[in-house]
Amino acid sequence: MKSNLGALEKDSSRANAGAEFEGRILRLVKGGPERQAIEAGQVDAVMDPATGSALLLPAARQALRKDQARVRSLLALSSDWCWEQDELHRFVSHTGAASGSSGIYAESIIGATLRDPPFDGMSESDWETHRRLLEWRGTFRDLELKCTDRAGEMRWVSVSGEPIFDEQDRFKGYRGTMRDITLRKRSEVLAQVPRKNAAEGKGGERLPGVERKLVKGDLLENGLLAALPRKDYRGLLAGLKPVTLTYGQVLYEPGEPIRHVYFPNDCLVSLLTTVEGHQALEVGLVGREGMVGISLALGMDVASVRALVQGTGTAMRMNAARFRKEFRKSLPLQGEVHRFIHAKLAQARQTAACNRFHRVEARLARWLLMTRDCLRSDQFLLTQAFLADMLGVRRVGVSTAARALQQRELISYTRGKIRILDRKGLEAASCGCYEVIRNL
Amino acid sequence: MRGKKTKRSASSPAVTTVVVMRLYIANNAPNSLRAIANLEAICKEHLKGNFKLEIIDVLETPLRALADGILVTPSLAKMSPSPAAKIVGNLSDKSSVLHALGISVE
Repeated sequence: MKSNLGALEKDSSRANAGAEFEGRILRLVKGGPERQAIEAGQVDAVMDPATGSALLLPAARQALRKDQARVRSLLALSSDWCWEQDELHRFVSHTGAASGSSGIYAESIIGATLRDPPFDGMSESDWETHRRLLEWRGTFRDLELKCTDRAGEMRWVSVSGEPIFDEQDRFKGYRGTMRDITLRKRSEVLAQVPRKNAAEGKGGERLPGVERKLVKGDLLENGLLAALPRKDYRGLLAGLKPVTLTYGQVLYEPGEPIRHVYFPNDCLVSLLTTVEGHQALEVGLVGREGMVGISLALGMDVASVRALVQGTGTAMRMNAARFRKEFRKSLPLQGEVHRFIHAKLAQARQTAACNRFHRVEARLARWLLMTRDCLRSDQFLLTQAFLADMLGVRRVGVSTAARALQQRELISYTRGKIRILDRKGLEAASCGCYEVIRNL
Repeated sequence: MRGKKTKRSASSPAVTTVVVMRLYIANNAPNSLRAIANLEAICKEHLKGNFKLEIIDVLETPLRALADGILVTPSLAKMSPSPAAKIVGNLSDKSSVLHALGISVE
């Protein structure tokens, strides 16, 4: 008997725990073959009718503990963490080999659910689906989530879990594993976005139109798309096709159906209004901050303006039907597009007032600054005829205004090539409308 | 499948009936694992498929073990053919297991 129960004395921090336990076992097993088996060390557990449970003998308890540790270490080979959640789906424990190296703090997720920071990126509808699964006590596999590590960097994790129940079949929470899948996710995104160098090789220098020089740190990604949560962005990517738009290409004519929407990466698109008997007048400029084809988002599938490519470059194109579907589905996309439409409307209103009240010189300065902001370049190719269209004035008016700006050494203008020399000075020369539009 | 096996071996003179047993164990504890291994070996050698074995984990269903009058695990209970018998321990003593199961060895 001693040989089997003695281990508890070494095992326990309490001096008399072993003696107490031994007494309890002896009261349960008074004699007979059971007692002999215990003395021979052949018994793992003794039933206790008082509590309705099995009492593990010390050797068996130790063995089972080692067994669990072995299972955990094997699990750690295929995943980065093992975790447990309580009944309210809050993390209560979090162990694993990689918890130190991967930078996601064990402490930071304790007490959090998958909906709380540092996790992020689960949309309302996804969470609703997941919550329903949890309520049904279902097992979930490879749930992919964004989270922020201790350096503030965004990472991706894949989470799997199963419910835990106690002896009375009461739900006690969830347990499962988590893997860091950041590298895989990054390569997936890279594979779908056109590479910067590939697109730049076809750049505008060889083609007529706006000459571009990319400002350092420039990204080839459309700003409106980049502002979307990754999940929504990934949903859109399947329907987006990278295309090259060239100078002079007309994307829409007023009254024609819109077949595609465009998200410019590094090209520039002018929106022009035509008035019978007059030349076209620019009412808006769209660069990497927005999209072309906003009428679709407003429920109209017919263009109201002419969309003319002013600067050669790449854009992401999506067909109209797909866009309507995605737009209905994605709240973040609606938010971004609405914000952009608001800015464009305000810009058009400001431009209308500007064209009526301000001098050509100030308007030219404004237009050059706006183009610079869209293209992120201080240098572009523009003919006087083109500038006259943009500003709605006669060609003579443009050349006078350009000459004035050149004399003040704000720009250089030779044979259609415009270079901004002094941005601050040009801002001072422009009317207040530039400031208003920029701050939209 | 099991029924077919039983019919075929019913003609053999050594074993004529199906032995129904319950083995009570405590998860993966060492004596429990040993008891399963020992019993498997005995069944393979002497019962040749003419048996029904139910393994009950007392850590998962303690109330069932208590209802069956089990005090310690591992325990093996023979339910049929009668008489019912019980043997405790890790079943390493083969002759006493055979005796409890009512199998005579020539």
